[in-house]
Amino acid sequence: MRSKRNADVILAVSVTAIIAVTVVFLLFPVIVTAFMAFDAREFIGPFPPTDLSTQWFVKFWNSGYLWSGFKNSVQLAVAVTVVATAMGASAGLAISRMSPRWRDLTTTAFLSPLVLPGVIIGFALLMFLSVFNVLPVFPRLLCGHLIVTIPYTIRMTLVGLTGISATLVEAASSLGANERQAFFTITLPLAKNGIAAGAIFAFAFSMDDVTISLFLSDYDTYTFPVALVGLIRSHFELTIAAAAVALMGLTVVLLLALDRVLGLERVIGQGVYRT
Amino acid sequence: MKSGGSQVLPHLPEAAANAPIVKSAQKRIVGARVRAVKSQVLLLLPAVAVFVLFLGLPMLTVLNESFRTFEPGRIGSVEGAPLTIENYAELFLPVYMRYFSQTYFLAFCASLIAVLIAFPIAYFIARYASSTMRKAAMTLLIGLTFLSALVRVYALQLAFGSVGIFAPIMSALGVNMNGSLYINCVIVVGLLHYSIPMSILILIGAVQQLNPRLTEAAQSLGASALSSHLTVTIPLCIRGLVSAFLVSMTLGISAFIIPWILGRGRVMFISNLIYSRFSEITNYPSGAAISIVMMALSLLLIFIMSRLFTLLDRT
Repeated sequence: MRSKRNADVILAVSVTAIIAVTVVFLLFPVIVTAFMAFDAREFIGPFPPTDLSTQWFVKFWNSGYLWSGFKNSVQLAVAVTVVATAMGASAGLAISRMSPRWRDLTTTAFLSPLVLPGVIIGFALLMFLSVFNVLPVFPRLLCGHLIVTIPYTIRMTLVGLTGISATLVEAASSLGANERQAFFTITLPLAKNGIAAGAIFAFAFSMDDVTISLFLSDYDTYTFPVALVGLIRSHFELTIAAAAVALMGLTVVLLLALDRVLGLERVIGQGVYRT
Repeated sequence: MKSGGSQVLPHLPEAAANAPIVKSAQKRIVGARVRAVKSQVLLLLPAVAVFVLFLGLPMLTVLNESFRTFEPGRIGSVEGAPLTIENYAELFLPVYMRYFSQTYFLAFCASLIAVLIAFPIAYFIARYASSTMRKAAMTLLIGLTFLSALVRVYALQLAFGSVGIFAPIMSALGVNMNGSLYINCVIVVGLLHYSIPMSILILIGAVQQLNPRLTEAAQSLGASALSSHLTVTIPLCIRGLVSAFLVSMTLGISAFIIPWILGRGRVMFISNLIYSRFSEITNYPSGAAISIVMMALSLLLIFIMSRLFTLLDRT
């Protein structure tokens, strides 16, 4: 009995240790970056910074290269969000009305880009589009981002629709509503939150994508992550830390929005990333 | 539409005498079904069109390109270039095999460590955390998976890179920061930074579906906490464990930015090899062949894992 007790105590202690080490490991690099962005020194010195200043944010603000990428990314992400949400929501509605067998098959087909490496999607799209060579860079980027964001908008629409029972729609139609009225007064208002969560995912993944954009960008039109990755590879300095802090701010905003429209627990409960 | 059908049908016996009415009712039902199918097709059409045009056809282009002969100095293959399997054959050279083994080995290590670390944490959050703590943990974990890949890579480079914060400590400890062992470790750390939060989120779902009474029963019958978890909890969570491993592995083998930046050109993953085929020597046929092999291997991995899962799931 005694040895069993000891084993249990060791187990509890080691689980606590694993949790503590993991939290430090996950958060430390992020905290270091946030602090270093306010460093007053001209070089990357030892942590923590001795003096604080906002010089790197000013440099980030004044860098035409990063700023033009940032503007492109925001425009692109807005366009991607609108198109992917419209397409994903309508496809999700159609899928939810299918028989279970077809539903599974279609959902798997639409989720397939999530298991494909981004490099292959980017490379394939680049080769395919260069055969015709008619599209300018911006629509090319839009096409690439749609492929990786539509899976999320479809998935989240389906998550939003799962709570709605078919009896509500049937009740509406037995009370005399036609199909269109039942759709606009019952289905759409109830699925709204799931669709909104899909839109947030689409925006976040479009802002974040590097791999596909790297293939489809050119010297004049590039996205923010492409600009940043170029900078990380050429001059490793703290302007990037300031840009990283800006992106973290964006993550927090998106997270708050997601919590508001769907609730963070529900995002997990349904297993968004299950393959 | 189904409701329309059930409304009409109960009246059928009464209406049997009146054949034309029945016929028109049937026509209406059929018409409504056709319309329902039509509206479904219309709703699906935009997304299907995007997938066929910008995913299906491009993949066929890659397949076609992978069998074409490449002439050095050109961008991609010439139109109508002769067919060849040379692009695939050269992947069996030891030089190329190394990229594949490196990618799979590092992704495997990272996934295994991620699942081992994530499981106890997920169990703790799902079972013992108070609701405030749970909410905080969820926010943190989802925030970490939402974090931009570049922020992550930059943060890790700033902490563990050759000019990073830890550089003085590492050199004091006598660690060679330019050695390939250190670079490999940093890449695994980079993969872990993404796969640990992801695995925890997947495993929380799995632990929540498990009835806690089962583990309690084992313990009340005299099993220690450790052995009750090893013999009861873990076998019952095998589905979640396999899917967390599979997701980590998929993310690991397709990683691009992490090895590109943290590998400093010394360690390259298959994704980086494909990119260099495209950007440095414009040998598209070879890049296409590597892509096809990589996709085939990924599908094989998913197949093997799902087999393994069915074998383990007999419990």
